[in-house]
Amino acid sequence: MTKKIELFILAALLFGAAGLFSSPALAGSCCGGGGGATLIVPKFYQGMADLSFDFEKYDGFWNQDGKYTSDPAGSDLRQYRLNTGYARRFSPKWQVSILAPYVWNVNKYNSGTHRQDGLGDMTLSLWYEALDDVSVWKISNLKDLIPSLTIGPSLLIPTGISPYDGVPSDDVTGRGFYRLDGNLLISKTLHPWSASLSLSYGSYLERAVNREVDYVEPYRKKLGNRTTAAISFSYIYYVGSAGDALTGTAAFADLREADATRDDNRIANSEFQKDSIGLTIAYSSTDHDWKVRAQWNHTIKQDGWGRNFPATDIYSIGVSYGFR
Amino acid sequence: MGSVNLRRLLLLLIIILLAGCGGDLLDDLNPSDKDQRPAVQTGTVGPNVGQNAPDFLISDSLGNSVTLSTALAEPGKRGIVLYFTMWCPTCDSEMSNMLSSHIPNFPDVRFYAVDYVSGTIAGTRNSELSNGYAGSGFTVLADTAQTLLNLYNGSMGTTVVIDKTGIIRSNENYKDDRLTTALTNLP
Repeated sequence: MTKKIELFILAALLFGAAGLFSSPALAGSCCGGGGGATLIVPKFYQGMADLSFDFEKYDGFWNQDGKYTSDPAGSDLRQYRLNTGYARRFSPKWQVSILAPYVWNVNKYNSGTHRQDGLGDMTLSLWYEALDDVSVWKISNLKDLIPSLTIGPSLLIPTGISPYDGVPSDDVTGRGFYRLDGNLLISKTLHPWSASLSLSYGSYLERAVNREVDYVEPYRKKLGNRTTAAISFSYIYYVGSAGDALTGTAAFADLREADATRDDNRIANSEFQKDSIGLTIAYSSTDHDWKVRAQWNHTIKQDGWGRNFPATDIYSIGVSYGFR
Repeated sequence: MGSVNLRRLLLLLIIILLAGCGGDLLDDLNPSDKDQRPAVQTGTVGPNVGQNAPDFLISDSLGNSVTLSTALAEPGKRGIVLYFTMWCPTCDSEMSNMLSSHIPNFPDVRFYAVDYVSGTIAGTRNSELSNGYAGSGFTVLADTAQTLLNLYNGSMGTTVVIDKTGIIRSNENYKDDRLTTALTNLP
């Protein structure tokens, strides 16, 4: 394999990592759970499998005015997620992916501990690689500045346990709504640096609700439209001379969701916002088929870094394998 | 491991996940709009609309005892509201809505916030203070043993309206307009 193709593959792997990183998971004893990420097959690969484990630790929340508030004393709220994903290229520029999380909620309060587990909401995605990044070491002509551009829709499928399944809020592993997202990923690598921008805009489908904890008078509900934006910067360090690579990534993500509606009426103060920062360290083997990573996603527990949303830290480890 | 084996393993994992999700999966994939509320059982005690509200004895955040009968006997009140809170963002948002819209408009109703997570009376008081509800229109109850939670089949955001005679008029998640209707229709 030529050096140029190796660089190309590594850049594509980085791009995939950026995609995985860019969609903060939404979870919580009070606010639903499940995964929310992307999985991209690198160039020159036919498929990619990904397995990761998340530990999300809840630590207070921001109220509707953005004021950070601590959880009740003595509480210890956690969610664990095992995420399985598979992506498959079906033409040189098109690929599909599926992601399925399995969720464990462990919520300890002074009044007792509640445990529940179940499948989270699954995500199906379709991607089109509109532009390829040639990922060079040095810019020698204008073509070297072209970033990769990948676009496509994704569908969140409500396979999790939702607040409308006759369960208390502690048992929730999903939100109970389909959501259709439009996604855009831009990435550029100038070795050893790489940067990416990820944008997505999603709209939930309205659904009927006839049950909460108990059956209720039926109504129609629609969650608010969701916007996610994330930027990341990476540095690639080659370990030895064989081509193993260690990549460090720093990222910032902003997640917003507008007010929900019920029977076409806006539900006041149901919108939310969350800003988060993250660090990732990833190791890829010489042939770049295997990649392992560790991530830390952190929210700033101060006023103004979120609104109407739990503050959390997410610790993740993951491994992916690319099929040629 | 060969790529074919890996793909089979992944497929197996997904099948196991789907198999483990239980019968409620279809509820969200294909939601129903049918009204499946049970028939009103007047004259019985329970958490459902039309039933007699279960009695309780509980302390508020200041250590005062509150029972259903003393709450309903408060002079000048047409009924009470029990709102179940775990001091979360949604809870705070809904309690704020009640503070701004329902509590001023229904001075003849007592609003109780039922704290079912803090575990002690002192813990409930701390949560009340740190969330900014001390001295608000809510009387905060310390449901230390989750007695009310179980009696009223509550969860985060459950809002129960009980009239002066002890009949449950509404029991569902907080909804601004439905709470207004239930309070307006109190005898």
